[in-house]
Amino acid sequence: MRMDLSMRQLLAAAAGLAVLAAAACSAPAPPRSDAVSAVPPGPATLPAPTGAHPVGTAVLYLRDTSRPDPWNLDADARELKVTLWYPTGQRDGQRAPYMTPKESELLLKGSGIASAPYDTLSKTRTNAIKDAEPAGRKLPLVVMSPGFTKPMSTLTSLAEDLASRGYVVAGIDHTYESYATTFPDGRVAECLACDSNSDPGFGARMVQGRAADVSFVLDQLPSKWDGSDRIDRSRIAMVGQSIGGSSAMSTMLEDPRVRAGIDMDGTAYARIPKSGLSRPFMFLGSAQHVSGGPAPTWDRDWRLLTGWKRWIVLTGAEHQSFTDTPLLSDALGIKPTTGVLPAARAAELTRTYVAAFLDQHLKSQRQSLLDKPSPRYPEATFCPATCTPP
Amino acid sequence: MTAFMTGARIAAAGLVLLLASACTAPAPPRGEASTAAGTVCAPPQGTPLAETATTIDVIEQAYFCILGDYYSGATLDARSLLTAGIAALAQELDRDGRDLPRAGMPTLTGDRKADWAAFETTYRKITDQVPDLRDKLAVVTLEAIVAALGDDHAKWTHDVKQPPDHYDGDGYGLGLEANVDASQADGNLGVALAPLFVTTVPGGAAQAAGLRPGDIIQSINGSAPFIDGQATPAITALYPRYPQARPVKLRLLRQSSGRRWSVTLKPGLYQRDLATLQVVRSKLLDDDIAYVRMTEFAPDSADRVLRAISRLRKGRTLSGVVLDLRGNSGGSPMEATRLVSAFVHGKVTAYHCTMDGTCAASRTDDTVELIDLPLVVLTDRSCASACEHFGSAVKDLGIGRLVGTRTAGVISGPAQAYLLGNNTLLSFPAQHHLGPDREVVDGIGVPSDHHVPLTPQDAAAGRDPALAKALTLLHE
Repeated sequence: MRMDLSMRQLLAAAAGLAVLAAAACSAPAPPRSDAVSAVPPGPATLPAPTGAHPVGTAVLYLRDTSRPDPWNLDADARELKVTLWYPTGQRDGQRAPYMTPKESELLLKGSGIASAPYDTLSKTRTNAIKDAEPAGRKLPLVVMSPGFTKPMSTLTSLAEDLASRGYVVAGIDHTYESYATTFPDGRVAECLACDSNSDPGFGARMVQGRAADVSFVLDQLPSKWDGSDRIDRSRIAMVGQSIGGSSAMSTMLEDPRVRAGIDMDGTAYARIPKSGLSRPFMFLGSAQHVSGGPAPTWDRDWRLLTGWKRWIVLTGAEHQSFTDTPLLSDALGIKPTTGVLPAARAAELTRTYVAAFLDQHLKSQRQSLLDKPSPRYPEATFCPATCTPP
Repeated sequence: MTAFMTGARIAAAGLVLLLASACTAPAPPRGEASTAAGTVCAPPQGTPLAETATTIDVIEQAYFCILGDYYSGATLDARSLLTAGIAALAQELDRDGRDLPRAGMPTLTGDRKADWAAFETTYRKITDQVPDLRDKLAVVTLEAIVAALGDDHAKWTHDVKQPPDHYDGDGYGLGLEANVDASQADGNLGVALAPLFVTTVPGGAAQAAGLRPGDIIQSINGSAPFIDGQATPAITALYPRYPQARPVKLRLLRQSSGRRWSVTLKPGLYQRDLATLQVVRSKLLDDDIAYVRMTEFAPDSADRVLRAISRLRKGRTLSGVVLDLRGNSGGSPMEATRLVSAFVHGKVTAYHCTMDGTCAASRTDDTVELIDLPLVVLTDRSCASACEHFGSAVKDLGIGRLVGTRTAGVISGPAQAYLLGNNTLLSFPAQHHLGPDREVVDGIGVPSDHHVPLTPQDAAAGRDPALAKALTLLHE
């Protein structure tokens, strides 16, 4: 259906195999022999952030008692894990873990990946210093929301980069919508939503729930995070991949505090009123989301965006190019596909265009990169004017 | 795609495939996606590319695909398919005022390949004279060939389009459902019973016009829905599919007030309550009955039902389970077997048999924990396909009672989808379905143990006599 690529589909595609189309976008795992290179080369290292500041990170656990959990019918409150990335003055210290061995195992098993030891992703080297003291003042805030079944950590490369450029990033693990979310008491919430993702209206329900998650996090941040007095609450944007990107739209429709948003390759589920949405919005996608293409939700919503807007498709990108997944492929023993953007280039393009959008709309720094195609980034095509269906 | 599906379900599956392109990997190279020779059929790999026009080559591929892989493909008289094709083509020409002197049937010999060649020659001669009608004629021809199989699980899914303003969860149509459902209106009218009345009003034009459950539909666009108790094709107009948008005029009677009036409803998109779209929903009734409604045998749905029951069971003693399968359009036979397995072990839930009588037994999965509670299953004429697989197993194996009305009788066999060269899908079964007693269910349905039909009065008053009967049975 309708949900976005699961990691196993990416990997099947990455292995150059035909992928079975299934309603729920879940597919049998590819034959291992085709997908595996001989010797996995060891843990992945996320690319260094490009901004001027060292990056700190911290985790918060929030509990919304005003509503029951939408997926766990026995939970009368919604629990959320929020990961913060922020500028710090501290250059040394313990690097934050990427995810726990258990989370790595659940993510790989859920994604049908058996080409590397199950704890492989927990060994991924990050750049952010755990619980470092935040630095700076009047920092703009970026809320981040990952794809369906994915932990928030799959957007770490982008989050660290934005923090190094002077943003506070609040990434949300939407509980039970991911293969694994660990809570402080050791509980690991698994993907309860995964059994219903072929239901009609599933995507629409999920983006409504995520909008509520984000509003709650924005409400709670001032009292729950010591560094929050460094945030300029008049400058908040949201960025998400896949259904997290669609959730950026649904959140903006519900919560005027979010001034700008980016949907990275997410089929759009949020219903924009006929009067339109006038705050800045950017679609940043793969060829699946060209205008007039097979997934027409961006065409539908483009007409309803009445403010500053951009629709950029990256040639050679695929659904996971906007996440850490390609950066992790080597460690998982998965060969890159010819014709798909190399991992480092995909990360560079994602970081560059997301930062340009945020710099323009949260820092009021005009970005000519967003006005026209750039010779430095020839992969970026501007829709609907110059992109056409494959 | 191996699944029991009714016609409506297959159309929905087509939509789903269309939507799936939002999220799927790059389409496979063309060489993999379309069959090389144009005469072999292969299941779809990945999301099909955009549909292209139906050509004689596509019809040829479908013809040989049916002969090669359909249940009776090896033995059926292929001339019946070609004759049905030309008949439909001639009818369409005539209807368009473009009849041609040479638009007749070629002589067929019974040699499948030679007959195809003769058919193709005739077809080309005809269509070359009316190039502007070529696409339309190809469509009616292939539709007729598939329909000639007379199989409720044989379907050609093509020209599936979403309204551009569609949002996930939206419905399209008049915004009402009647006791004769879309699937019945689409080819199973024989099972429809008078009077025609509204059962639910999920939104749209029907809601805006104030229609209510129980309202009797006396005429549709001026035509009677039933003549001498026999349903008429007029009922089909209740369920327009995009891009059909012609307004539909209904003459209505509200029995409670005696009011008679007419409304004109324009088909369109309408928003539906997202909660009602969940395939599995559950609640506790009378403090001791687990009520679970399941609208489709979708992936994981059997486990969802079982989890819902065990959740409702936590901390209390249940007297029984009501499984509401009314309106359940089918889905995966594997899910049907899995759900049966929670109520009985060591049994066969169905047989899937080839034309020569070789049958594969679908056995219960005895690793599924037994629920060990009395079971009542609510059924109706919209319980189709995998729903009937489940229903016949419940009845034959004695694991519960069926309350409501007979099931749809739309269960020829599990359908497999094949990708045609123009990126449309042809689906049909290679085996036919038999119940646990090796009885035919297709065309007949599974009769309920307690016949409790819904009346317009019940619908108007919001009563559910079948559920009431189920609760009575479980409390006896």
